[in-house]
Amino acid sequence: MARKKNKGEAAKLEMTPMIDVVFQLLIFFIVTLKQQDILAHLDVFRPQPDDKPPPQEIDDMLEIMISRDGYWMNGSLIPFRSMDRRITKLAKYSQDMPVIIKCTLDSPHKYLIKTLDSCSKAGLSKISVFTM
Amino acid sequence: MSKRARNDAGCDVDMTPMIDVVFQLIIFFIVTITLDQEINEDIELEYAKHGPIIEKELERSITIEVDDRGHISIQNAQLSLTKLHSIMANRTKKFGEFPVYIRADKDTKHADVKSVMDICTDVNLWRVSFIAMNDDKS
Repeated sequence: MARKKNKGEAAKLEMTPMIDVVFQLLIFFIVTLKQQDILAHLDVFRPQPDDKPPPQEIDDMLEIMISRDGYWMNGSLIPFRSMDRRITKLAKYSQDMPVIIKCTLDSPHKYLIKTLDSCSKAGLSKISVFTM
Repeated sequence: MSKRARNDAGCDVDMTPMIDVVFQLIIFFIVTITLDQEINEDIELEYAKHGPIIEKELERSITIEVDDRGHISIQNAQLSLTKLHSIMANRTKKFGEFPVYIRADKDTKHADVKSVMDICTDVNLWRVSFIAMNDDKS
């Protein structure tokens, strides 16, 4: 009887270091473990070099130029918001409309991503990326 | 004296679950940490809230990383353009067409992204996907 009682006491006593260690590890975990990012993919087509350059005469074709300074549509530099609005408006007529994005060599990648995101929001999927 | 002996015995019995738990946690660690090393952590992706989410990477897909200084890597192993070209050429020979993801930093110059895309077109891959962060939290 006395033996049993002692065993029980000992077990209770030894829980503390285990809890300590587990707690430490748990904290370490929470700090180190980075939440997995939710990633999106934006698909584009590359122009085939043996093909003719994009036919310029098509009217319902959306052309966006990206430079180091920002976004250009119809020859003028425009802020992102107005480009986004224009893309949404134009996409209402036809979702099959081809989109041509021309990037200059020194343009940052984020502008291209922003533009592609905007096109994706509008439901446009025929997107080609050219380099100028 | 007898008390001490009893205490020692109790200690012996209770070590087992602690070791079990610690061991389990360590194994979990090793597994997670290896997964983390497969991507270049220096790359800061741009946010694209409307892009389709990648649920699971497609079979045979390849992710090419381009950092803000134009360094190209696959699974955090840096490559030269010629090496990348030979890798891509070999892969197309083996599998035919396969999905290509380009994971480029938001401040990467388009010229560096273009050189990767040119390699893709060179080996007859006309479709590439850019990876962006889908900001679900805000």
